[in-house]
Formats: sequence, C-alpha cells, structure tokens
Amino acid sequence: MTFHRNCEGLRRRDCLKLGLGALLGGGLVDSLRSRGRAEGLTARKTSSILVWLDGGPSHFETFDPKPNAPAEIRGEFNAIQTKIPGVLFSENMTKLAAISDKLTIVRSVRHDQNNHGAGNHYMTTGAPTRIPVSCGAFVSFHPSMGSVVSFERGASDGLPPYFSIPDMSRSGGPNFLGARHAPFVVSDDPNQESFMVRDVTIPKDLDDARAINRRKMRSRLDQFVRFHDQAAGDPVIGADENYQQAVSLMTSAAAQRAFEMHREPGQIRDSYGRNAFGQQALLARRLVEAGVPFVTLYNGGWDHHSNIFPAFRTQGQKLDAVVARLIEDLDQRGMLDTTLVIVMGEFGRTPMISTLPGSTTPGRDHWSSAISVLVAGCGTPRGQVIGATDPRGYAAVEKVYAPENLVSSVYTKLGINPDKILYTAAGRPTHLVSDPRPIAELM
Amino acid sequence: MILKQQRRNSGNGLKALVVFCAGLLLFTSHTQAEEGAAPAGITFESDIQPQLTRLGCNAGACHGKSRGQNGFALSLLGFDSDFDYDAVAHEGRGRRVFPSSAEESLLLRKATGQLPHGGGKRIDVGSQTYEEIHSWIRNGMPRTPAEAPKIVCVVTEPASRSLAPLEKFPLRVIAEYSDGRRRDVTEATAFQSNDRTIASIGASGDGVVQAGPVPGEAAIMARYMNHIAVCSVTIPLPGTVPESVYEALPRSNFIDELVWKKLKLLGMLPSPPANEATFHRRAFLRAIGRLPSVEETQAFLMDQGFDKRKTLIDRLLERSEYADFWANKWADLLRPNPYRAGIKSVWNIDSWLRDSFRRNIPYDQFVRELITAQGSTWKNGATVIFRDRPESIEIGSSVSQLFLGVRLECAKCHHHPFEVWSQDDFFGFAAFFSRVGRKGQGLSPPISGGEESIYSKSTGQLNHGPTGLPVLPKTLSGVPLTLGPDEDPRETLAVWMTDSSNPYFPKVMANRVWAEIMGQGLVVPVDDIRATNPASNEALLDHLALEFRQQGFNIKNLIRYIMTSHVFGLSSVPAERNVTDIKNFSRFYRQRMRAEVLLDAVNDVLGVEEDFAALPPGSRAMQLWTYRSTSLFLDTFGRPDLNQDPPCERSVESTTPQVLHLMNSPALNRKLGLDTARPAKLAASTKSNQEIVVETYLLAYNRFPSSDEQQAAIEFLTEGDQRRRGIEDLFWTLLNTPEFSFVD
Repeated sequence: MTFHRNCEGLRRRDCLKLGLGALLGGGLVDSLRSRGRAEGLTARKTSSILVWLDGGPSHFETFDPKPNAPAEIRGEFNAIQTKIPGVLFSENMTKLAAISDKLTIVRSVRHDQNNHGAGNHYMTTGAPTRIPVSCGAFVSFHPSMGSVVSFERGASDGLPPYFSIPDMSRSGGPNFLGARHAPFVVSDDPNQESFMVRDVTIPKDLDDARAINRRKMRSRLDQFVRFHDQAAGDPVIGADENYQQAVSLMTSAAAQRAFEMHREPGQIRDSYGRNAFGQQALLARRLVEAGVPFVTLYNGGWDHHSNIFPAFRTQGQKLDAVVARLIEDLDQRGMLDTTLVIVMGEFGRTPMISTLPGSTTPGRDHWSSAISVLVAGCGTPRGQVIGATDPRGYAAVEKVYAPENLVSSVYTKLGINPDKILYTAAGRPTHLVSDPRPIAELM
Repeated sequence: MILKQQRRNSGNGLKALVVFCAGLLLFTSHTQAEEGAAPAGITFESDIQPQLTRLGCNAGACHGKSRGQNGFALSLLGFDSDFDYDAVAHEGRGRRVFPSSAEESLLLRKATGQLPHGGGKRIDVGSQTYEEIHSWIRNGMPRTPAEAPKIVCVVTEPASRSLAPLEKFPLRVIAEYSDGRRRDVTEATAFQSNDRTIASIGASGDGVVQAGPVPGEAAIMARYMNHIAVCSVTIPLPGTVPESVYEALPRSNFIDELVWKKLKLLGMLPSPPANEATFHRRAFLRAIGRLPSVEETQAFLMDQGFDKRKTLIDRLLERSEYADFWANKWADLLRPNPYRAGIKSVWNIDSWLRDSFRRNIPYDQFVRELITAQGSTWKNGATVIFRDRPESIEIGSSVSQLFLGVRLECAKCHHHPFEVWSQDDFFGFAAFFSRVGRKGQGLSPPISGGEESIYSKSTGQLNHGPTGLPVLPKTLSGVPLTLGPDEDPRETLAVWMTDSSNPYFPKVMANRVWAEIMGQGLVVPVDDIRATNPASNEALLDHLALEFRQQGFNIKNLIRYIMTSHVFGLSSVPAERNVTDIKNFSRFYRQRMRAEVLLDAVNDVLGVEEDFAALPPGSRAMQLWTYRSTSLFLDTFGRPDLNQDPPCERSVESTTPQVLHLMNSPALNRKLGLDTARPAKLAASTKSNQEIVVETYLLAYNRFPSSDEQQAAIEFLTEGDQRRRGIEDLFWTLLNTPEFSFVD
C-alpha cells in the first residue's frame, strides 16, 4: 500500500514537472502571456476566485507546520522549504512551495466561532452569526462576499456575476441583497466529455422565433401579484430576478463560450489534472476571463476529526497541484495581477492530535484561534508570510487579524468600499463590514 | 466527576427539563442553607467563575476548548467548577495565582495585558473585576462552600418589554438561589441580542437595552454561568389599533386567538382571507402535495356550503396521496444511502414509513416502533435506522435531534455551548442503545446487500468517551438507570420520550407539521429547540404541542387543526399593517413547491407520466423510494444528495438553473410536444380556443382566467396548422410563471 502510494505520487509529480517544463519552454505560454497582456490593456476589472475548503483545513498540514513541536502536535508530516527564505510548508504542499514566491500566506487570522455553521458564516460574509448556531446549521444573516461583489459590480455580457462550483457553501447566499445575487451553481462535472452547463440554450428542436414568442407570451400572461415592498420578502421577486438572469444568460454569446471547455487546448486541460476539481478550477479561470468578478470553488471534505494524515496524502496533494496550477496559469496569462485567489476554510484544527470517541484513526478538531489563509494576486505582495502563531500553533499571536479584516481586504481589492452602508429588506442600515480595515500587508 | 453527576442526577429528570430550576430545587430543598448565607467574601463558584465566563476566558475558542489554550484549560463556559478551580489555583505549579503577592499572579498579569496574552487585554488594572479577583487571590482563593446556596435559575427583569423606537431601558438579571435569595448579577452577565438593529445591548456590563429606529422584535439573551434567560423586546408599529378591531377578528380555533394576541403586541393586523380558488389550491398542495383536477376545482368553486373549506380538508386527509406525501417528508429524515445500507433496506424503511402514514398510527407509536425496532432489516423496515447508524452514539444523537429537537451532537466532545447538555447527557442518552444486538451481515459498502437482524442483547455497555468508564442509560437531565439482565433500555427510553411530562416530544413534531403547512416553522430550524433559539410565538407552539398530545398524537388531527384555523386561510398579499411581517403568520407565506410536488404537478398539467427507474409505470415522483432514481428535474429543484457530507438540506430558494430547467430542458420540451400529451389532445379536439384557455388555466393555476387574461391568451392562439403549436406555447407559458410553481 505504502509502496504503491509513494510510487504513484512520485510518478505523478515527475510527470507534472516535465509537463510544466515543456509548457514553460514552449511558445504556447509566451503567446498566452502576450495575449493576456494585450487584453489587460483594456483595463480588465478585478476578479476573485475563492477556493473554499469546507470543513476547515488544518493549518499544520498546509501552511503553518510546527516541525519543532512535540510529535503529538507536529503530526506525521515533515516541513519543507519554500522559495521564501525561512518559511516552511507542510510536506504535501510541494507545488505551492515551489511557487511560494507568487503567494502570501496569512497565518494569523482568528475568530471565536468554533463550529461549521457559524465559522462558515463568519469567514464567507465577514460577520459573525447573530445568534449562536450549531455545527449542522446552514444560516445566512448577512450577504456573502460573492453576493456583495455581484451586487456592487454586476457582470457584463449576460453572465451571472457570481458562480459557485459545484455547490454553494452554507452561507454563500445573498441574504437581503436578493435572489439575483445568489450564486449560479454549476453542478455538472466539467471533467466529463459531455460537459455542458445544462439548459442554458433553447431546446434543439425549437427555433429562435418561437422561443422569443414564448417569452413574449409569458410577459403578457404573467399577472401574478408581486409585493414590491422589500420588507415583505416576497420570494416571487427573487424568482423574477432569476428569470431575468436566465434570459440574459441564454442570449449571451460570451457566456455560452465560457462554458465550452472543449475550446481549451488539451495540454492546458491536462495540466489542471483530469479530475473534477482540476477542471472546475479551469472553468473558474475561463469564467474570470469572460468577465465574471467572483467565483467560488467549493471543495468539501476538510473536516478531519479522524484519518487526517492519509487524507492529506491524497486530498492535500490534489489541492496543492490544482491551486498551484491555477495560480501559475493566471500568472502566465497576465491575469494574476487582476485576479485575487483566496484559499481558506472555516477554521484551523486543534494543535493536539486526538482520536474521537468511536473513531480509530487520529485527527484534529475545530480550532478557530489559528487560521492560515492563502492569498495571491490582485496586487498582493508576492512571496511573504503575514503574522504568526505561537511555536505550537495554538493561537495567532503576531499581527492578529479577524475575518472582518480579511473580508475587507477582498472588498478593497475588488474596488468595493467595506465601510459602505447597505440597507436590509426592512430598510435597516447595516455596515458591509463592521471593521472595515483591510489587512495592511496584503494591500 | 462523581460529585457532579450526583448533583445533576438528583433532580427529577423530566420536570427539570421543563424548568431548569426544578431539578436543582428538588435537590437543594433538603440542604437548607442558613438564612443570609450569602457569600460574605469573594469565592470561586459564585464570583470568580462568572467573570471567567463574562470575559470570554472559557469560551470555545479560548481556554474553554477541550484541551485549553497554551496549557491553561477551563471547562467550556464554566460547567465544571472542580476542574476550573484546579486549573486556576493548582495547575501550572501554582504560577497562576500568588496569594502573597496577588498582583503578580499570571491570571491578572495576562488578563490585563501586562504579559503577552493571546486573547489580548480583557480587563483594566484597578477595575472592579480586577479588584475582585485580586482580593480573592489575596484571601487564599476560597471556594464557595459546597453547602452554600446554589443558583436555581436566572431571570431577566422585565421578562418582556414593549418599547417605542429609540427608547432605552435597563435590563436587570437576577440569579435565584436555593435559599430563596435573589442577587443582581447583571454586571457579570454576558448578553446577546438576536437582532441588533431592532434592539441592541452591550456585550456585558450595564445591561441597557437600546431600541433601534424601526419596529420589530428581538430576543435578548442573558447568560450567567450555565444559566440562560431571555427577555423579549417588541417595538410595535407606530399608530394605535383600537382594541375592538382585534376583538372582531374571526376565530376558528385557538390558533387564531394566539396569533392575534401576538399581532396585537406588535400593533399588526392580518391580511384578509384568500379567495376560494387560492385556498383550494393551497389546501391540496399542503395536505396531499398535488394539484386539484379541473373537475375538483369547478365543484369547489360552485359549492355554496358554508363549511366547504372544512369539508375539503376532511376529504383530502382521507385520500391515498396523503400517505405518500407525508412519508416522503419523513424519508428525507430517515432514508439511508443505499450504497451504505443496501438497496433492500432502503426499500424496506420506505415501505414502513408509507404504511405508517397510511394507517395514521399515532405519532408516539410511530416513534416507539422505530426506536425499539427488532427483527430483520429485510422484513421490518423500522430496524433499518439501526443498520444505518451502527454506533450507539450515532443513533443516540439522531434520535434526540429528530424526536426531541435537542441537538446533543456537540456534547459528544464538550459541554453544549448554548444549552444545558453535557457530555454525561450525551453518553447517557446514547447508552440507551448500548444493548442493540446485531446478527447477520452488517454494513459492507458499497454493496451492503446482506440481511441483518436487530435484537435486544441481555448485556452491553457504552463507555464514556473522555473518561472511558461504562455509562448507564440516562434520560436528559435524569437519573442513570440500572438495568436488569433482560431489560431493553430502548423500551424505557420510549416510555420517557412519549410520557406526558416530556415537553420536547410533542413540540418538535408540532413545529414540523406547522412548518410543512404554513411554510415556515415557529422555531427555525425545525429541530433545534432551545432557550437560545426562541419560537416566534412560544404560546402557540406550547398550545399546538398540548393539543397534539391531548388528541392522542393523531397526526391527521393536528394537520386538520392547523388547516382549519382562520390563519391558514389568510391571503398572502400584505395589507396595511403587516407588510414587514415575515414570521408571525399575519398572512400566508408564499413558497416554491418542493421538487417532487412540482414534478408531479408538471406531469399532471401536461397529462403525461414520468418513467422512473425502479418504479412501475404511472408512478408519481412522490412515490420514489430511493434518491438513486435518476432525475435531472429533481436534482435541479433540490433533493438530499446522500453522497455529500452532510447531505444537502432541501432548499426552497428559487435559483437560476431551476428557471432555466423549466424553460429549456429537453425532457420537458419533449413532454410538451408528445402526441399523447394534453396540448396535442386539446388541439385535436373540437374545443374552441376559448374553452382551451379556460381549461389550461384550471389545470395550471386551478382557477378561471379573468376576462383580460382570456382575451390575451386567445390572441396567441390560432386555428389550423399552427393550433397545436400555439397551445403548446400556452402550456409552456403557464408552467413558466411563478403562479404555477409557488404555493400561494
């Protein structure tokens, strides 16, 4: 078993290295880069790709290893050198370590919401939940970052401004901003040969004239009463917004093209990995290219109460490969300067390795006092680490930041004022972020 | 540990559940403390520990985490005084406290930020809290004597309050002790408002509640040690409504009385009743999950009987679709993943559910049959819940959440942060399932095809996670039970759960049923009942629970009771004094049909059948017994995805992919154009275009078209070659409007 895994791991890594080398040396990348730059001249607006690691990834097994801590904290993995002098990553993050000169790691985000429901809400909206919620909760008290970006920025060419692939995260919704700012979820697997985003074109046997006539008929015959007072919370208003979005998506050539994964060169598709997550990341890049300002790449299964080490050998390595490739690809195309990539989950994990009652393999539990967040692009300084946890990884102790600061940084980078006041359905004023100070070192 | 257990167990479990105070009262009544035994000096349990809670020291993200922070661990929110005292006074080689030079104590130097502290500065040197801790250390860290009076409960004064916009008032928090003494603990209480824009309060300290500028309601939670009290604050709509207006509101049953009472408090008035056709469609969709036929709609609209609404509901509850519809809702809660539990087990539990609803077995019997199930997973569907959840702790936490609305899951690893539940409660509850025996082939994913038998063993025990000691079954807040060799503790649990003194059992089901019928629970989420998650109308939830129990847990009677209230029949259209109401049921709340209901409705309107894998031809989506039957339609409109963890909850939010699916899905367009579908048949009939329009409206909207609608629709239709095409487009149009897909 071990032999097999090692062997496979080595082979895959070597192949990828070779593959990338070939790519880097060839003319393709250069031509991509020059194309990206040329397009950049037309002042491409900023965008963001949030890689959401649902469950809460360990900071120890990713970007904040503690090689000098006792074994029961350090865990099974070694720390490896990165391109930033003196900065270590955990051993499964090899590809990210190799491009660490393009990244910033914030090791010192912390909050006080130690369960999935509340932690997800805090990290994806920048606001703690109003009432205590528990682990199973799917709650929304405040609009998510994606929805706010959708609301503030919109998108051109009929594309929805906020995508979530392949799922929406728990608190990823629009709350009072309304259904048109909910994410457009692409649940189909872009790694399938037959991949297409379902139902975005009129059925084959229907001609355009008839489709247009149907929509005309609908607008004439739809006489259902709407309650336009926002405070009434009429869900039909949301459905109307969805309808508008659906029609513009159907009639937009740019949107249709962004979904056509087969237009992407085979080499590029291979480089992202021929698996669902890899191709989803590639789709995210295509959407950003087409002008979408916010894409959430949802990746589940990071709640490692047990079985943490084997999981990082597979899942962790896959994450490493896909995210590293995404960032490199964006950079090669000249898009990294305008695209913010964020990798995070709801919290970190407990320093002490433990085995839960009823479990046989060790893991780590929820730990919101120390969270590592990967940030790259959009003017983020390249190759730095911000803040630190104590020598055993218990708590962020240097340059401690709250989720508010992180979310404010994202908004600021995307040209949105985090101090803005929004109005809820009942007309109540609410601050977009209660603490609008961004993380200075990211700016 | 033992001491703690005895203390908690000494209460008479069930009563203690109702009023947390009761259990402790029973115990402490015989430890009569001397009059005035109020702590003369400052002692740990009564003075210091509450400060550790208020300052957040023992919060989950700080020292309250199971292994503490930087070597200093406290019990979460101070539930274990012995442990906390030990941590403060003895651990760390006594460095945390220096009685001889109290200001040098780590406890104070860290908390004041004089030494680096991960949690930052929590108090100022010289503040009242600082002085209290300082003098406690100087006096040698006395504990509160064991015989000292205990806190029985905490109350807020006032318990509720009505405010004008921007008004303020001081909220006091009073701890009541076992000796009858009352003490103002406002200063050491942690506060939280569940809606800060309606009414806010500082996190701690002065206790001044400040109303915001807009009307509404908020619950102010006060936590003092392990005790929680809630003060409800309302800011009524400006302007006054004469008393006589409320008196004149119609009352079909006591539900109306309680809803009007709440509206009166908020200065709101309900919407007028929905029209007949809207009511008819709504009743069908809520009771049996299908649209009425053209004939049924016509007959109801013609009926002149004064109690035709009531008659309709009675008839609906007797229909065969009732069982499928309600069993389908329960399947969401209990249906296992076939890859895990095996396809035959999945089929069996589904049949068991449908049969239970078909026979309308009382809810207490339903639950008893499930949790005490014995026999083969191939024969008795109820046993499948034990196959799906082989560990006592898995089935224990499911049972408490599903049937009691109590989420014990958190208490597996630590004291429940928002509730009174501890790890002892969690393991004690799980221990009821420690004698569940299994024979045959257990889970063997991904096939899991084998047959398993569930039976009651004569022995078997569960070990407490953290202590590793055997745990005896114990009801929530109850006493550990000693078991005879042939006793099945599950029987005892069933008796306790369904007993007339258990407040949770009828409440959570009453809330579920209310939510299904009214579109929203009184408590949200429906299975999370706790003091810190108050119902929008507590009196109504209590009443429904009582009514449900008094009716012998008859589910149909509960549904009938809710559906025959005046409130159920209100229009969804807001009136002058309820536009902002989104949780007090002053109007009906619109909701998109759930996936299966919508798919069946589309097929019924078009007069076509769906061809589901693993079901006989002609079956309805509501009869699906496994989520493995592929259906892009159901996936798009949302059904649990068991391959995800956690399986996604159903959402009724409308999404763009759903709109696109109704507009463009090839499957739906194929159905529209079938020669055997209704559009083609109507086109081929001798009916006039006007008759066809009326029929289409009756099919999709379950009402007659207005003359304007009729005129407009006819203009889109033609005669001759293009007639069929026009009719298909009319069907497409109505199916793609919200009036079709929403329950109004």
